[in-house]
Amino acid sequence: MKFIVSSTYLLKQLQVLGGVINNSNTLPILDNFLFDLQQKKLTVSASDLETTMSTELEVDSDNEGTIAVPAKLLLEILKTFPEQPLTFVVEDNNTVEISSNHGKYALAYADGAEFPKAVELASPSTTTIMGDILATAINKTIFAAGNDDLRPVMSGVFFQFSPEHLTFVATDAHKLVKYQRADVSASQVAEFIMPKKPLNLLKGILAGSESEVTIEYNDSNAKFSFENTELICRLIDGKYPNYEAVIPKENPNRLTISRNQFLSSVRRVSIFSNKTTHQIRLKIAGAELNISAEDIDYSNKAEERLTCSYQGDDMQIGFNSRFLTEMLNNLGSEEVSLEMSLPNRAGILTPIDGLDEGEHVTMLVMPVMLNN
Amino acid sequence: MNKTILHLDLDTFFVSVERLINTELQHKPLLVGGTSDRGVVAACSYETRGFGVHSGMPMKMARELCPEAVVIRGNAGTYSKHSDMVTEIIKEQVPLFEKSSIDEFYADLTGMDRFFGCYQYASELRQRITKETGLPISFGLSVNKVVSKVATNEAKPNNQLKVDFGYEKLFLAPLSIKKIPMVGDKTYQTLRNLGLRKVKTVQEMPMDLMQRVLGKNGVVIWKRSNGVDHTPVIPFCERKSISNERTFDKDTIDVVKLRGILLAMTENLAFQLRRGEKLTACIAVKIRYSDFNTYTKQMRIPYTSADHILIPKVMELFKALYNRRLLVRLVGIRFSHLVSGNYQINLFDDTEEALNLYAAMDHIRERYGDKSVVRASAMGARTIGRMHNPFNGQPPIVLAHRKQ
Repeated sequence: MKFIVSSTYLLKQLQVLGGVINNSNTLPILDNFLFDLQQKKLTVSASDLETTMSTELEVDSDNEGTIAVPAKLLLEILKTFPEQPLTFVVEDNNTVEISSNHGKYALAYADGAEFPKAVELASPSTTTIMGDILATAINKTIFAAGNDDLRPVMSGVFFQFSPEHLTFVATDAHKLVKYQRADVSASQVAEFIMPKKPLNLLKGILAGSESEVTIEYNDSNAKFSFENTELICRLIDGKYPNYEAVIPKENPNRLTISRNQFLSSVRRVSIFSNKTTHQIRLKIAGAELNISAEDIDYSNKAEERLTCSYQGDDMQIGFNSRFLTEMLNNLGSEEVSLEMSLPNRAGILTPIDGLDEGEHVTMLVMPVMLNN
Repeated sequence: MNKTILHLDLDTFFVSVERLINTELQHKPLLVGGTSDRGVVAACSYETRGFGVHSGMPMKMARELCPEAVVIRGNAGTYSKHSDMVTEIIKEQVPLFEKSSIDEFYADLTGMDRFFGCYQYASELRQRITKETGLPISFGLSVNKVVSKVATNEAKPNNQLKVDFGYEKLFLAPLSIKKIPMVGDKTYQTLRNLGLRKVKTVQEMPMDLMQRVLGKNGVVIWKRSNGVDHTPVIPFCERKSISNERTFDKDTIDVVKLRGILLAMTENLAFQLRRGEKLTACIAVKIRYSDFNTYTKQMRIPYTSADHILIPKVMELFKALYNRRLLVRLVGIRFSHLVSGNYQINLFDDTEEALNLYAAMDHIRERYGDKSVVRASAMGARTIGRMHNPFNGQPPIVLAHRKQ
């Protein structure tokens, strides 16, 4: 088995795939890239058993064969090369020899047959979506997903497809983001929960991409294909909580404020909040928003006043400032609105401007129970 | 610069307060502590000490040793009121003080020598306290907390002692090693087995040897023996955990009762957390069986102060812990890893009704006392609960070992 490939081209593809590989694997074979050569077509795969990603590369060759090459070593050496053709030759003694303009390097390889096979999706449903839209949807939601091993369903993003629109939801039970696109749709109703890791990979690859992504899915797996890359992953098993039911419908108190101003105030004030709970207090009366925080243990205290437009009763509500900053940071609008009903019910944060046609973002943040 | 640290200790505090309330008890042997079979002596008057009575001893034994003694159960509320009176006077008179327990104070008088003379100043303070509150008090004055405390213990009862700068080692040398704070019965035995009796011997020993025998504590004991102690006077006492435990008058195997008590404790402690605007991240359950084997089990949880999260966790721990089918002597609960903050509401698990119920119950408790509303299943445990706020910066009011 022998092939010639451009060093930077190979590196670019491998770096993307490298994201799949875990730092410590139970199966040693998973520390490798699988190279599957079919004449001019080289398919490189990486897997962590849950997620498998593969990319097709154009190479110069007339051989066939499969080998598993140590990922870390290969990436390290490729990073050091300037652009040049590299020749990979598989030797008899279980090593693969790479020849560059500078010299020769030999790596031990494992048999490609040992590498776990990617799952084949049985009777999948299909939908297509623009790469950039998918990346945005992931970007808008993924930060809100939880990390709790005890509630695995909440550690992923909920994909809800229907002929009217596509909906993406993430929550950790303290905050929730619902991102809806009415300008894209699927042929039939379907829903599944995607784990975070493959989404983070997709987010990185697809940002700004103009290409179409084909999503195939069934009950247990999903496959994302675009350009020359394929990503297959296992879905999170379980029932997603009924998030619609917890979004308060009646919210008589509505605050409208400049996002940037609000964000920088919350950031500044939260420096003085407790380092574990990050708790801040919003007091709204008339057209004034008062943001305050206190860290009793260290006698730190801060208070800021902002003018805002507010309709509703005077109220006092406590939030974890981390949730607020994450959400405000994630939005891109000039102005945001925060709708509330009671100090112990969710606040609903929505952008007022800067959305595409058919794009809807709803963010929910749960308050803390303040003592009155 | 040398520091000047004053240690003040109210003599037989509980006894003195009882005598203040009832003058007939003057000069009579008096015992304060639990009156049940399992009660222990929390305080005893000097008259009883001749009979071999000391605090921490089972009340039953104390009564046998000194049958003519008057036994009083004691009331934490009265004691803390009198303790507060003393605190007020000290607060007025000294620049920096630490209330290390209900009847003990440290004050930092560093730098005051220039104006008043610390010893004279302290003497006047002592006289003022005795005059205004009627309580006998002793003090020790030296360069650090440990030497001052030892000096106070030497001065007692109702007296004062000053250890001049540079004479700390000499002052400690002839004393028994038992007088060094932190040398308890166990350490004392270990040291005696090494042939140590007087502090002087420890002073002459190399520090390494102490370290080899007692580890880290050995170093501390060696330093203390040499009159070296750099701990500062800390004016505010921050609670690192809150706990509640209960020894039964009679060992029990009634699981329903045990659960009821644990529930009542959890409910009460959770209320204390919410009132103090605190959250806990670690809960522990403790069981002592009738054979005195004590087991604890703890668990980390996400920060919370909500009953409906804490109660199931406590029950889960209890279930895992209680497996010996033996009579139980004591159960207890501790919440630690406390931080200030309020309960973060959960989108899916918390209903508005439940949250409003918490708020309403806490409101009632705030106004009518913490036992005014309790869960029905916790009603069996009538005496669980305490009336004071554990987060007011004061040391816990414990009637030192009411029970053994």
